[in-house]
Amino acid sequence: MELLTLFIILLFALGAGWLVQWLPQRHSSMPTYPQRAPFLGGGSPDTHAWNRYHVRYYPMTLLLIAFEMEMMFMYPWAVVYVEEGLKAVMEMGMFLAILSVGIVYAWREGVFKWQ
Amino acid sequence: MAVSWLHRLAGLTPVPVFPALGMGGDVVLRRLAQATNIELVGSPRHASVLLVAGGVQPDLLEALRRVHDQLPWPSSSLWFRCEPLPELEDATRIDDIEALPGALAAIHRELLLQRRGSSPRLLPDNPPNPWEGLGDDGHGGEGMMGGVPYGRPMAMNMHDDIRDGLTLDSLTFRIGPFFPAFPPGMSAEVTVQGDLVQSWTTQSLPHLVALDPVFHDARQRSVPIARLELARVRYHLHRLFHGLRLAGWESAALHVLHLAMRLTSDSRADALRRRLERYGFFYLAALDGGVLEVEQARRVGGPASRAAGLDDDLRSEDANYQRLGFSPVFHNAGDTRARWQQILAEIEQSLQLAKQAAREDLHTQNSVAIETPRGPWSDERCPTDASRLLDEIIPGLEWDSALATIASLDIAALSDWPLVEDKPLTRSEERSS
Repeated sequence: MELLTLFIILLFALGAGWLVQWLPQRHSSMPTYPQRAPFLGGGSPDTHAWNRYHVRYYPMTLLLIAFEMEMMFMYPWAVVYVEEGLKAVMEMGMFLAILSVGIVYAWREGVFKWQ
Repeated sequence: MAVSWLHRLAGLTPVPVFPALGMGGDVVLRRLAQATNIELVGSPRHASVLLVAGGVQPDLLEALRRVHDQLPWPSSSLWFRCEPLPELEDATRIDDIEALPGALAAIHRELLLQRRGSSPRLLPDNPPNPWEGLGDDGHGGEGMMGGVPYGRPMAMNMHDDIRDGLTLDSLTFRIGPFFPAFPPGMSAEVTVQGDLVQSWTTQSLPHLVALDPVFHDARQRSVPIARLELARVRYHLHRLFHGLRLAGWESAALHVLHLAMRLTSDSRADALRRRLERYGFFYLAALDGGVLEVEQARRVGGPASRAAGLDDDLRSEDANYQRLGFSPVFHNAGDTRARWQQILAEIEQSLQLAKQAAREDLHTQNSVAIETPRGPWSDERCPTDASRLLDEIIPGLEWDSALATIASLDIAALSDWPLVEDKPLTRSEERSS
């Protein structure tokens, strides 16, 4: 019964959404082909605009995710640190040192240069 | 269909206007930027009124038809100092710049209240290439990339990348002559890879640029230096206005415009410099590129050549300018940033000269050769079109640097006719004339 109620609510919601979109547009036809062409100040394109495009900040994004994951390791480590003390600090220090080598390498490769 | 309350409400909003600039049409930008009930938009897709300002050459009419058809329904057009296209029978023409904002608002209101029909479409409603329906996915061709989906071939990696070796699909298109970020009338065939401009060929030249009548007078006879310098400042301020609008700084652009409107020999540009520096205008990354070699800078002339380290300025040959202690300011870097710094420095210098010259009531001595804000002007040498220069300096720049470079370069040739701008004379002009 509850499932049926939810289903009806869903139907109403979808119907209302469709109605809101359809009502204002019911009299207008599709835009013409010249209107749909990309705006180039009166110029015209040679090719379709769907092209492979390189997101230049991509390596920087990957690096950010990698170091966010590293931060995730530090939460459980904080618990272990309370029990183990200095030993845990040393271990985390080693882990961070290895990761920093990665940063230095990325720096040398020019990953941090914004372009 | 009855007019709904939504249409009535929409009729009260600022009018979205797309300006298509013809010859001498840029005066409307400066007038409409100050009108509160007008919103100048950067694309016809956001506009409800197309404003064609200034004469349009017959060879650009096809491009104008394409722009006209890109306005969404319902749309209309207004023609300022320009004969409407013959297909548009009920299009309005207007010649008085002061009546322009009111006329645009009236058209917008009539359009939304349905007292005026939408402008007819001028181009046939045909796909640019007919739909073929071939291929595995109906994309119009063979294989993965060979088709012509929606009428155009797919972009392919045809050229090697000139930035860092990462080859991407290259897109070739022709842009202009009504592209708002270009000088009016200029169009180019551009190939980009991602955001990097791979090649650039200027196709149509920008419209001639008109100077204040005082520069034409100065070629004939002696004129007050204060008047000449204020006209120079106004010219540079108008260029700065366009540059700031392109950077998206509407309020700073309006500040510049107000300064240009209320220019007297007592005006100062300190507040303007403070504002630009505080906003970080000279730190914009887009101002990095566009370096001109000395030879290229000489071809452009004027502030662009002085920003590249040349100290050519015909004013230093005039005896009365020498009395004022004039020596040309220049920068050495030759890039876009140096050109804007040069413009600002020349504005300050000219205001200083105007103030001194007004006090001493000095007139120009040399009318054979004068320094216009566009460059040196004499019988032998007149500022000519330098837009072919872009073919050399734009490739290799990213799109934002390319646009900033074009905005910073004054490349149009000089018109034989003085500027007709409907503006009240400023106080200092009345005094000096």
